Order: sequence, then C-alpha cells, then structure tokens
Amino acid sequence: MIEKIKFFLTVTGNNLWQFRTRNIFSVTIICLSFLTVGIFISLSNNLRATARELASNMTVAFYLDRGTSAADADALRQEVGKPAFVESVRMVTPEEALEKFRRSFPELADIVTGLKANPFPASIELRVNSKASASGEVVAFVDSMKTRPGVTDVLFNQDWVEKMQGFSRLAGAIGAFMGGILILTSFFIISNVVKLNVFARKNEIEILRLVGSTNLFIRIPFWLEGIVLGLLGSLISLGLLFVVINLFPIYLGASLGALQELLSFRYPDLTQAVGLLLGGAATGFVGSATSVSKFLKV
Amino acid sequence: MIELFHIWKQYQKPFWALSDVSLQIKDGDFYFITGPSGSGKTTLLKTIFRETLPTEGQILINGINILKIHDSRIYTLRRTMGIVFQDFRLMFHRTVFENVAVPLQVIGVARKEIRRRVFNTLQKVNLHQKMWELPSHLSYGEQQRVAIARAVVNNPEIILADEPTGNLDPELAYEIISLFKDINRQGATVIIGSHDRELIRHFGDNILFLQKGKIVGKEGRA
Repeated sequence: MIEKIKFFLTVTGNNLWQFRTRNIFSVTIICLSFLTVGIFISLSNNLRATARELASNMTVAFYLDRGTSAADADALRQEVGKPAFVESVRMVTPEEALEKFRRSFPELADIVTGLKANPFPASIELRVNSKASASGEVVAFVDSMKTRPGVTDVLFNQDWVEKMQGFSRLAGAIGAFMGGILILTSFFIISNVVKLNVFARKNEIEILRLVGSTNLFIRIPFWLEGIVLGLLGSLISLGLLFVVINLFPIYLGASLGALQELLSFRYPDLTQAVGLLLGGAATGFVGSATSVSKFLKV
Repeated sequence: MIELFHIWKQYQKPFWALSDVSLQIKDGDFYFITGPSGSGKTTLLKTIFRETLPTEGQILINGINILKIHDSRIYTLRRTMGIVFQDFRLMFHRTVFENVAVPLQVIGVARKEIRRRVFNTLQKVNLHQKMWELPSHLSYGEQQRVAIARAVVNNPEIILADEPTGNLDPELAYEIISLFKDINRQGATVIIGSHDRELIRHFGDNILFLQKGKIVGKEGRA
C-alpha cells in the first residue's frame, strides 16, 4: 500500500512538472477565484463585526426641548430608566454636549467657538443591556418616547446596526455570486487541463491498461493532480489575501476617508481559511474526476 | 491452457477478420501464428488478451471463459500475461528502468524488490547498462528488448508478441526470438504472431497458418 502511495505521488509530481505551463495557468485562475471569494469574506467579516459591536453597545439619545424645566427633565430621566433592559441612564447638559463635540471633532472646533449660543440641546442618554440590544421591546419603548412632550428628537443606533448587517449580507452575497462564477470557471479550467493531460498521456494509459492496471490505479494520479492544483491555488490565494489585508490600509485606506471603517478587511477565521483550502481541493478534485470519467473510458 | 472455440470476428460487413478459428495451446508451448498481412494474426492475439471481443465464439484460459470477465476485472487476466507489440509502446519520457518497472508497480511490489527484478530482467536482455537511459536514446533492437523485458518482468504465464521482429534486421530478429525461446524454456507459454517464414521455419515448434481470417494449415502440435 505504501509503495502504491509513493508511486502515485511520484507519478503526480512528474506529471505536474511535465505539463507545468498549463498547470501554472490553472493554479493562477484558481488562485484569483479564491482570492475574490476571500476578499468578500473578509469584507463581510468586518461589516458583521462592526454590526455586532454596535449591537452590543446600543445607546439611545432623547433630545429635550430647550424649554423643558429641570423638574420635567428629571421626571423624564426617571421614566426612561424604569424598563428592565436599561443598563444606565445619564443626563447630558448642553455644555457637556458641546465639550463632547469639541473632543470628537477637533478640526471643527472653530465653528462652534464663533457661535454666540450653544447649539446643542440637553439630552438623556440611555444604554441598553447587551441581551436586549435589538429586541422589539426596546424598539417599542423608543417609539413610545418619541411622542412624549419635551422630547424633540431621538437618536437610536439600531438603524445603523441593521444597515451594517444589511451591508454584511450584501457583501457576502456579492462574494458568493462572483466567487461562485469564478469557482465554476476554475472548475472548467481544471477539467480541461486534466483532459489535455489525459490526451497527452493516452499512450501511457494504454500501456498501464495492458500491463494489468485497475481503473482506480489509472485514475488516482489524475485525481491527485486536480486536488494539488486546487489546493495550491487556494493556498496561494490565502497568502495573497493576507498581503491585501495588510497593504490595503497603507495604499488605499486613507483615500477612502470616512468609508475606510466600512471597507476595511478582517482576516478570515480558521474555519473560513480551512473552508477556502478545502474548497480549492474540492474544485480541483471534482474538475479532474469529471474529466477523467468522461474522457478516460477505463 | 488456452482454448479458442469457433471464433468469428467482424469489424466491418461483409468482411470477416476471423472465421471459425478454433485452437488449443498447451501450457509451455512455443507457438507461431503466421500468415500474410491482413490474415487476422493481430486480431487473434487481441482476442486472447481481450483487447477485442470476438463477434462469436468462446475463449477459455485455464478453464476460465475470458469473455465473461467483467470489464472492470480485465486487469486480473492481463496480469497473467506479458504483451509485446510491434510498435513497442514504450513511455518515451520515462527511463528504461521505469518502463520495465510498470507491471510491478501496478501490483504494488516493494521498491527494493522492483529494483532487483528489473535489474535481473534487464540483465537477461543485456540492457542493464542502459537502465537509466531514455528509450529514445536506444537503437530499434534495444527498444524492442525493453518491451520484451517489460513483458516478462513479472514472470507471466503467457507471453503474446505481435510481430516482435517486424522492423528488425535478420540477425537482430534471431536474437529476439532466441530470447523468447529462453523465456519459454523457463515455463512460459509464448505465442508469436509473425509473417517471417524464415524465422518460423528455424524456430517454429507449433505453427498456425492463417489466411483471410481462416485457418489454412497447422504444423507441430498446432
């Protein structure tokens, strides 16, 4: 058995080397296909992680009417703090809001310095505990508070969470679609490359049959060839993906401005990386097996 | 024992490549099948190693009807045979050693044993010094000897050779047939298809004469 395995590996190695030009071509195509899939996976990873971060840190800000008295504001604060899903409630004065703005946007600090009056209203900031973050109860409560006298506006970051989740799904879908097409292309390319290799080795196959080879014995080197091509292509694509993830912020990140956060990449996790490698191997194997069974009547 | 019963083979109507051929070849026989080009020699050999199925008739080898063996099990039959072709059918991008080793690799013989057996076989055909050369660097006669070495390396019970001296000069042809004779002395049944009457007269124990697919004569035990 070990001798046979050694034999198959030697034959596969020899064949890969003998037809190296066309094999390099198919590895390149597989690599580009899986790189595309990988890029969308890491983009989707980033969007999903951002959405998760927002969801776990969900806040609601109720902006108060300027004419609201301190007693009414306090009553509202107490009412807002009642539900069980509330983790903390905090009153933010217009001065605190102005200070926060200056800290967050130092480049815009000059604009507010020139103003005669503080443009920021007082607000009540509510932090929802992570377990209830996007529940219907929170949404219903926020909606009910919108119509309360003294509340002029409500800022609820659940909309952002939903948007992020939507973007993440979209990136995943685009990746799956484009990747699917490209992987299908890889499949056909491997299939054709193996077909060419089968034709090129017709004489050898004939000899193997005449000296008593089993069908499996003839097929295994071709299958291995497909698997190696697929595995090699997806392995290189993973390497390139890590290069892209590292180089992207350096060369393109700055030019994206505010979009940089959304369009940055996160490394694929171990399952995804293993999935990409297995996907490559499977594409190679299926492409090769189809070709061998179709064009190798043994 | 190889037994052929009323073998008919038609590739294209209305011509019969083989017409009602029946014969018996005993274990250890040295057997010539002869006749002019197109007489059916190659077809007859092909039916014996089941490269071609006869249109009618039955073939028994050691009592087993080889026409009833499932396609996926043909390898069991082929492993008992060594086949030599007129065009050698060598792998030209593999060394002499690799070419001869193939029948042993197919049955999973250990690498060390392969080396030993291939070397011994190449020694018998006097090619052991060219073991690592590519067949394309060898002469015609040497290439034929590589093909013979490949056919005998796993000590098959039956050796089939189709025009093994077809393109060789008489001296080399005698040398090649002598080699087959040696192999036959060691116990293998050897069946050679040839149209070289001189050679057959010199070596032939059992001769079957074919013409237009029909048996037209027999000599010896044939």
